Amino acid sequence: MKLSHFTWRIVGLIVLLGFTAFFFVPVIWVLLATTKTDVQLTSSGPFSLGTLSHFVHAWKALFGFQSDAMVGWLENSAIYSFGGVAIAIIAAIPAGYGLALTQFIGRRTLLAITLVTMIMPATALVLPLFLEMNSVNLTDTPWAVILPFSFFPFGVYLCYIFFSSTIPKDLLSAARVDGCNEWGVFRYVALPLARPVVALVAFFAFVADWNNYYLPFVMIASNSKLPVQVGLEYLISSTEAFNPGNPGTGAQLVQRPELALAILVAIAPVAIVFMFAQRTLVKGMLAGATKE
Amino acid sequence: MTVPPVAAIPGERSRARRGGRSEDGAPIGSSRLSGYVFVSLYVVLLALFGIAPTAYAIYLSLTKVGGGIAWGSNFTRAFQDFRFLPAFEHVAEYLAIWLIAEATLILVLALMLHSLARRTSAAFRFLFYMPGALAGAASVLVWLFMLDPTLSPWHFLLSILGYAQIDLVLQPSHLPLIFAIMAFWTGAGGWIVVMYGALNNIPDELLEAAKLDGANAFQSALRIKLPLIKKWVVYMLILSFAGGTQLFVEPQLVGQATAGLVSNTWSPNQLAYYIAFINDNFNEAAAISVTLLVLGLVGATLLVWRTKLFEIN
Amino acid sequence: MATVTFKEASRIYPKTERKAVDRLNLEIGDGEFVVLVGPSGCGKTTSLRMLAGLEPVDEGGIFIGDQNVVGLPPRSRDIAMVFQNYALYPHMNVAENMGFALKMAKLEKSEIVTRVREAAKILDLEEYLERKPGQLSGGQRQRVAMGRAIVRKPQVFLMDEPLSNLDAKLRVSTRTQIAELQSRLGVTTLYVTHDQVEAMTMGDRVAVIKDGVLQQVDVPRALYDAPINSFVAGFIGSPAMNLLDATIVESGVQIGRTLVSLPQSFHQIAGIGPVTVGLRPEALELASDGNGISAIVKLVEELGSEAYIYAQLDDLAGETTVTTPEIVVRVAPTVVVKSGDRITLRVKDDSMLLFDAESGVRIKGR
Repeated sequence: MKLSHFTWRIVGLIVLLGFTAFFFVPVIWVLLATTKTDVQLTSSGPFSLGTLSHFVHAWKALFGFQSDAMVGWLENSAIYSFGGVAIAIIAAIPAGYGLALTQFIGRRTLLAITLVTMIMPATALVLPLFLEMNSVNLTDTPWAVILPFSFFPFGVYLCYIFFSSTIPKDLLSAARVDGCNEWGVFRYVALPLARPVVALVAFFAFVADWNNYYLPFVMIASNSKLPVQVGLEYLISSTEAFNPGNPGTGAQLVQRPELALAILVAIAPVAIVFMFAQRTLVKGMLAGATKE
Repeated sequence: MTVPPVAAIPGERSRARRGGRSEDGAPIGSSRLSGYVFVSLYVVLLALFGIAPTAYAIYLSLTKVGGGIAWGSNFTRAFQDFRFLPAFEHVAEYLAIWLIAEATLILVLALMLHSLARRTSAAFRFLFYMPGALAGAASVLVWLFMLDPTLSPWHFLLSILGYAQIDLVLQPSHLPLIFAIMAFWTGAGGWIVVMYGALNNIPDELLEAAKLDGANAFQSALRIKLPLIKKWVVYMLILSFAGGTQLFVEPQLVGQATAGLVSNTWSPNQLAYYIAFINDNFNEAAAISVTLLVLGLVGATLLVWRTKLFEIN
Repeated sequence: MATVTFKEASRIYPKTERKAVDRLNLEIGDGEFVVLVGPSGCGKTTSLRMLAGLEPVDEGGIFIGDQNVVGLPPRSRDIAMVFQNYALYPHMNVAENMGFALKMAKLEKSEIVTRVREAAKILDLEEYLERKPGQLSGGQRQRVAMGRAIVRKPQVFLMDEPLSNLDAKLRVSTRTQIAELQSRLGVTTLYVTHDQVEAMTMGDRVAVIKDGVLQQVDVPRALYDAPINSFVAGFIGSPAMNLLDATIVESGVQIGRTLVSLPQSFHQIAGIGPVTVGLRPEALELASDGNGISAIVKLVEELGSEAYIYAQLDDLAGETTVTTPEIVVRVAPTVVVKSGDRITLRVKDDSMLLFDAESGVRIKGR
């Protein structure tokens, strides 16, 4: 009995270590790849460490690619994401409050639509959105990306859950007795208490927006306006190793270590957010069960 | 008195009566109006970027390119397209692998982590979850490296399987599995963390009661923990299903990097994109979009109304 | 200050038939402390919230002074309220919490500071003014909630079970503090509780509500001595009054197998037939001569200053279910009885109440 318990522990540990390797070896490999030359990638062992000078070289090559294209893409990603997140929050906080703590005709319907649109992936709407944006001449402008980003029903649902579960109705009653009108109740009581949910919505919206590929891929035509996720594709198409004997338009060629570095740079903001947001993720995804 | 009483306004009373249909103490008068004000900005966004494109897609799918009602002809043409069925088959295969992996591996891992000491399990969870930051294009790139036998840290595995070049790894029949691996690599950690959180929400007393009732670790996992987080498993599966049907970036980038090894109409979304922009037929593309929307809608509706996971009151 | 008057005030929740508050008529005098008491769900909190303006009034009127406040939002009613869970703003410190209403009323900063100081002094909260509610104990929070009400110097205080979240000991001491504070400030107060002890000890007058209907309003002593019906009789007093099914016969009242004589004054009014007999625990005493209601002791509760005997009527001794009617008797602590003893109980003169067996209305003797 004791032995079998022990055996199970060993098996369990092996399984866990196996999955750890699966999840983390790629990350380590990409980190190491940035310190090597393209040739070293194939010639030396996959876990060998290169040199700092190779890293510096890759850095210079990446950021020098097509006169600072990478910097521009990162800026674009930042503008699109921050724009989308900001409007999404400005809309979601009062909406969640209204849905949770006020009464109006159509409230339940609005909530149901919010739930459905939040679960349905938005990808299938990208083509009609493109036509919509095109009809008002907004394609290939930041607005074509920011505006669809700012519609974030999941954020509204999170705010709704937050307000209905963490703000007691009596607190609002107290504010009304204390002399607030409806706007005052929101402004002085609900809004200052909403800080935690702002972080929650910002996290989910930011990760979704920064990583979004398809929407900007369809909306943005100019190279200089691409976000970094789509920029990565452009880098792939300029990578020598992936396009043997096909330098395309005679553009500058990218080596694989630079591409590995590009991956790291492109995901850095999300990775930083991720590092601190594990609990946020759980809280957000499990929202809704709070009152069962 | 500190707060001067406002003189009663004639008509105020009847308004109170009409506005006073609230059970929860939402008060008299301006409440209903203010509700509309609070949701107004969101409703505008919803109308413009949620409802309008949906309606537009439906409209397009039912009309002809030059105008005029097409009824189902866009759909029949799309369904009869030689690329349509394969695209859906690809996605179905991918989903089958990914969903089974979710329902088994993620649960097993979450349960295992939940039985470990808090510190240790926190370390594992962090390692599993971090690749989630590399979603989208980045993860595809990482796996292009991982699957190239000349570079890969897994080259010994790949060579055991007999693959010496990336072309052999990226055979069309392998793609659903490969995309499922990518999805698992970026998505599983997050879900493990979430399932772990759900497990943590189970009151300690319940597990202690099970222990006193004689359940060992396996039995308590199988008979207590699993039933209690079942609804979250359903939640995860339906969300993954709805999202999985929308596959685009993975086949798109792999195709890009392998110079045509992967068809550029591999997934339904790619096909819709191709028909829209290359064939210049937005109406037929809309028919595919609507089909995908219906699939998503079915998933969403099931999730919302069948599982009672979400609260609408 | 002002009077408060409920005039035929009713509240009907949407999609329900029964009125949550059914034509409530209640007058609260200027500076008076009235307690609304009743079992949970009886409509007492709803009545309070109707006065606050947090709950609409569907029929009738509510007046503060001469003004009908129906339709006025809470902020225009010049009332202050203490909530059951205190409803302190978690993001504001104690001083900000207490001064918030004054800020909303656009009082000058210096005036707010003075008034908050004043209230803090009264409530012994001066050293906590900078703290957030989360850093306070339950009793301190309760005092902040009180302070928030008194800084406003309103026309009416509304208190919704303000003591229910305190532990038993603190509840007793706070009870007297609130009553004392109220009489010092002289602000008209409506106080809601489900605890009849609280009601009896605090209220100038007590209003008993059941199922949305006001049963009786009176001073505590009168409620105890002359309850209007068997509900009020059973609700007020602890341990509760013994209510026993009985029959009036020619020669007296038949309780089980025992015949108890009845004062003449009752006999003429009650007539012959079934009746409910009400006996307070102190209305009974142990009979030394063995004449009276025979019972078997089930349990003795020693409280030090007194003791309660829980006994079972002898007639029913064969059936030992939990629900068989028990009778409670208050005795001096010196009396020695133990579980299983057979005792005989005598009804003290003039201490028996009779209620109509059907309607529960008390049959008055005189």
